[in-house]
Amino acid sequence: MANDDAVKLVIRVLSQVIADKGQEVPPMTEGTVVLGGDLPVDSLDLAVSIVQLQNQTGRDPFREGFINFRTVGELAALYDAA
Amino acid sequence: MDRFDRNARIIRDGVAVEGDALLQRASELASRLRSSGARCVATASGRADVVAIALLAAQSADCGLILSRRGAIPLDAQNGIGEADVLLADDLQTSALLGSTADRGFSVAISTSGTTGRPKLAWHSLDALLGRVHAPGGDHPRPRWLLTFHPASFAGLQVLLTALVSGASLISVSNPSVASLAEAAIQHRPTHLSATPTFWRSFLAILGPAPVELSLRQITVGGEAVDQATLDRLAAAFPGAGIAHIYASTEAGSLFSVRDRRAGFPAAWLREPVEGVQLRIRGGVLEVRSPRAMLGYAGGESPHRSLTDDGWLSTNDRVDIRGDRVEFLGRVDSIINVGGAKASPEAIEAVLLDVPGVVEAQVYGARNPITGEVVAADICLERGIPEAQAKAAILERARSRLQAHEVPRVLRFVDTVAVSDTGKKKRKT
Repeated sequence: MANDDAVKLVIRVLSQVIADKGQEVPPMTEGTVVLGGDLPVDSLDLAVSIVQLQNQTGRDPFREGFINFRTVGELAALYDAA
Repeated sequence: MDRFDRNARIIRDGVAVEGDALLQRASELASRLRSSGARCVATASGRADVVAIALLAAQSADCGLILSRRGAIPLDAQNGIGEADVLLADDLQTSALLGSTADRGFSVAISTSGTTGRPKLAWHSLDALLGRVHAPGGDHPRPRWLLTFHPASFAGLQVLLTALVSGASLISVSNPSVASLAEAAIQHRPTHLSATPTFWRSFLAILGPAPVELSLRQITVGGEAVDQATLDRLAAAFPGAGIAHIYASTEAGSLFSVRDRRAGFPAAWLREPVEGVQLRIRGGVLEVRSPRAMLGYAGGESPHRSLTDDGWLSTNDRVDIRGDRVEFLGRVDSIINVGGAKASPEAIEAVLLDVPGVVEAQVYGARNPITGEVVAADICLERGIPEAQAKAAILERARSRLQAHEVPRVLRFVDTVAVSDTGKKKRKT
């Protein structure tokens, strides 16, 4: 489980990326699936979100390689303070 | 140097060293070099007067001269500086170095810029270095050049040599920054100024709305591909000045200049040699055959290693023919890879620089685990322009002129971008 701050941060970053594309931002929760259905987000948008998350947290959870995640909550958990 | 004009003088922080004094110090240094049997001198001096004296002395003593830039080439054998047997300091004192090879006679080695990758030393003959240097004819008042480059860079040496053979005053500062050079320009009123596009953009921003007061006669742009927006800004700021962009590299030498105020160069030059230089495009990359190319790299690396099988030198500049023009797309090694799609930082910067209010743009790849890289841009804005408004304008322009993967996805607003000691934007690799 990710803490609230991390979830809020991920939702804020995803919302900004979607808004930057000129698309409507749908409501998001911890359970929202990031890629493949719930959100108007493609892999490039997700790549951008991860760069933004790294810029804002100073953390790079993918440094050692890709880690699977499906939902907003699972992505947020990677940026939780250890 | 036979072509040395005694009227030349070098002004450093407001203090002038006259041509006769340069000659006298060079002659003293040359006799010390001769009596110690020196075969190759190295200096890491950033002072134009020291580099000028070293050039004159090395020629007179018929020994090699290695011009290094502090931080660019460390003084070790592996980089070929091991060829030097004498080290020359700022105060013209010499000390012995261990290195030495066969006599190469008078020639000059300059460090490549190392904008990407490790710098190397390239040996040149003085004839090749002077190949495109002309003393102005007629009775123009003597030129005053402002030295914006390190005197030991290829472009800086071209400016220095030009000043020495045309009897010009060369204005230099000991702590070069865009701000200190703008101050020197206002104080000393140069007539000629050569700089990278990156330098020119910050120079214009610092000078503000009234740069015409500088009354420059000749503007030279080089070292990086120049975009049309920067040429247009220069033409608007200095309506009376001639504007040339120079195509040169430390390896290929000074190739040609373009004076029609348009980015790129005429496609006709691919058929007819220009200024003795043959040009061709292979695999989207510009290749040249130049009478002014380097003699070779230092450290024994054969120049032929950088040549194609049929003797052409790759410039590592990607180009494209568009109408009657060959346009520069960017360096081969600066490409950003966005999930397999290629993006050129230079081409994207040219689009961003065309947005009103954008003073400077640096585009780079931001790493991520999904696509490898995404396009990111650091932007410097004119003072007083709100970031939100600029961001909207930049993204709108980028989306209308670039492919989806080329549109910067990460925008940061910054005060300055990182510049190397050759005045070029640093490229991340």
